[in-house]
Amino acid sequence: MAWQTSNGLVHAVHAVRRTAQLRPLSVLSASTPLTLQQRQPARGYATEGSQQKSGAAPEIDFSTFKNTPSRIVPVSPAYFSGSPKFIDHILNLEHILAKYASLPTVAPGTAPRMAWFKLLQFREVVGEPVPTKKYKSLLAILQRLNRIEPKLMPDEVQNAMNVFLRPGNPYAFKPVPATLDERGVARGKGKRKAASAVVHLVEGEGEVRVNGQTLVEAFPRIHDRESATWALRSTQRLDKYNVWASVQGGGHTGQAEAVTLAVARALMVHEPALKPALRKAGVITVDARRVERKKPGHVKARKMPTWVKR
Amino acid sequence: MVSSFCWGCLTRLPSAPRALLPPTLTAQRVAAFHTSTALLAAKKGASAPKYRQGTSMTMKKKKRPAERTRPPAVGERKALRKRIVLSNPNALEIPDMKEVSNETMVDSRLRGSVLGLPVPMLDQLRAVQAFQPKQGWSIFRRPGTVVRRETLEIARLIDGISGEGEEKGKVVKKIVSGARATGKTVHLLQAMSMAFTKEWVVITVPDSQELVTATTAYAPLSDENPNVYVQPEATAALLSRTVTANPVLSKLKVSREHTGLKAPVPAGTTLEDLAKMGIKDPAVSWNAFQALWAELGAKSAAPGFEKGFQPRPPMLVTVDGIAHWMKESKYNNVDVQPIHAHDLLFVRHFLSLLKPGTGQSSLPNGGMLLYATSASNSPTIPTLDVALKQVAARQAGVRPSAPEFPHPDLYAKTDQRVLDAFDSYGLPAPKEGTLELQTLAGLTREEARGYLEYFAHSGLLRENLTDEWIGEKWSLAGGGVIGELERIGRRLRVNTA
Repeated sequence: MAWQTSNGLVHAVHAVRRTAQLRPLSVLSASTPLTLQQRQPARGYATEGSQQKSGAAPEIDFSTFKNTPSRIVPVSPAYFSGSPKFIDHILNLEHILAKYASLPTVAPGTAPRMAWFKLLQFREVVGEPVPTKKYKSLLAILQRLNRIEPKLMPDEVQNAMNVFLRPGNPYAFKPVPATLDERGVARGKGKRKAASAVVHLVEGEGEVRVNGQTLVEAFPRIHDRESATWALRSTQRLDKYNVWASVQGGGHTGQAEAVTLAVARALMVHEPALKPALRKAGVITVDARRVERKKPGHVKARKMPTWVKR
Repeated sequence: MVSSFCWGCLTRLPSAPRALLPPTLTAQRVAAFHTSTALLAAKKGASAPKYRQGTSMTMKKKKRPAERTRPPAVGERKALRKRIVLSNPNALEIPDMKEVSNETMVDSRLRGSVLGLPVPMLDQLRAVQAFQPKQGWSIFRRPGTVVRRETLEIARLIDGISGEGEEKGKVVKKIVSGARATGKTVHLLQAMSMAFTKEWVVITVPDSQELVTATTAYAPLSDENPNVYVQPEATAALLSRTVTANPVLSKLKVSREHTGLKAPVPAGTTLEDLAKMGIKDPAVSWNAFQALWAELGAKSAAPGFEKGFQPRPPMLVTVDGIAHWMKESKYNNVDVQPIHAHDLLFVRHFLSLLKPGTGQSSLPNGGMLLYATSASNSPTIPTLDVALKQVAARQAGVRPSAPEFPHPDLYAKTDQRVLDAFDSYGLPAPKEGTLELQTLAGLTREEARGYLEYFAHSGLLRENLTDEWIGEKWSLAGGGVIGELERIGRRLRVNTA
């Protein structure tokens, strides 16, 4: 019955703990030459008569001497700073930068594009709450290291930088630039609202066909016709190319502006140098807006039902 | 649980007089002993408070007082809708603008320029309703049309038919088709202006829809032919148009006897007077029209009528919007079944000109048939589309037995009468041309330049007309569709500078 009282339970736990403590000691003793007398009794009750060791202490074996410091020293000197791993990274990079500061660099725009960790990803990797500003300073160092002339880039720097790259460098694999096919046709795709267009652009006299129809039949509104051909018109190329477009989905405006985007992309295949002009004309930037979904409890996406008194 | 109450015993009871039986109202069942109040309450009805109904604030609309103004007179609105303005005094006058004449109409150097319509001819053109509202005549100083390739082609044909050469007395039959706003109706107008220049007789049906919408009177032709119908009012209007527009009729005398009119037509009567008999009395207008048609096709005079016989001029017959004639009309027959448009004699007459039959000629003195389709106001008739494709195939020399010859869809309803209307059989008369399909498309760039320059000269367009600018507008107009070019040309440009 003593087991059931709290006091009895405590006693039992103590007893178990003691035997558990002692058992590894007995295992260890197999390697060390200990006599039977030196063995501790299985039960170490204070009331039991302890056997007094007789004779001199054994000789100190320096080969197995354990140099345990009296005070445990942390590995990183930045252990008490709160973000030791981050500071270690910074110090390491600064050290490397100082070491290779004399190497020639390339212009900022021409260095290979690297996909560094985003802030949130980096926080997860180091497991520390890194502030935005400090991470930016780390990125600045990385970018400076990245500007080292690629031919002279030391392996040490490369390896140090690789630590900070996102897995599967997204900028490493660039799509092959589109080219004209064997008949001189460039292909471009564009989307706007719910419409998506595919345009085949070929050198010609300014004929435009949309889904096999003429421009007039496809877009009754002049404004839509103008916006569909805007990429060619703004670069004075309307009478130099023929357009064959197929559009799906959406309404007139969406279809016209999807054609605009597709024509601009196809035109850039023919004449890549037109890109700045086309960007100025506003046909490079994609308008990714779509219809906002309707929400429950709302009449439309945002509209609430009319307030009714009771 | 089955009720122990015996319904059979109740039904076997002698029926009490109705007034004695209590009315079985729900309210009364609730309170059987107090009938009077319950009944009164039920009668009063909706006095109970409505707890469950929402009481949103409703704005009561004030009833507007009924408008006291008098509605416009009958026909006034239509007159306003159909009003045609041919001149704009604010537009600049173009000093060196040429007119349609015998010389200019066949001059290929004038291709792309705008030829004005001669002022004396405008009344004739108005009489045959050649102008349509919303064609943009009202933005220029005076009406004019562009000389395009098809215009020159038709001018050469008209010139040849009225000349003394090999082409004299030929009959040209064309169906003018094309996309919206490609200038089909104006093409007819150009042909009319040339025909008037050459002093032809011009007979037009400007609105084919009016004949099948059951808006004019109709009657069976006779007791012998109850299944074909005449439209006296519409025929009288046709005669009226023809008489007003063709002063040449007053010079021509009748060449034979005519029955069916109220009084015998004496020799020496002019064709104008003959037609006016039909205008005055619509009951005989169909007979008068037939008489007039026979006279215009006469090649020689009957005995007794030789005095003052003059050879008849060639004729131009135009119909606009033939698709309305290719389906059942809105008229009903005695059995309240719709009448097919081909059973209307008026329609049948003009369609029969397309295929006169073996050895016959639709216009014995030569001339031209121009029947136009419409792209903006036309019913969808798949059979007509196939029929026109067949016309084009025959024109291209495809035999009807060839595999590439177009046929109607086997699984669709086909109107055989429509197919037959365009399918000429037998050998026609030697001067009779075959039926052709002319598809109008956009202008060429040069013609578009001439047209837009006309806008610029008229002061409507303030642009530097470079080749790039014109090419751009040409593309925006769907490849030079003339109606779209006009829309672009007349758009007001507001200079913010």
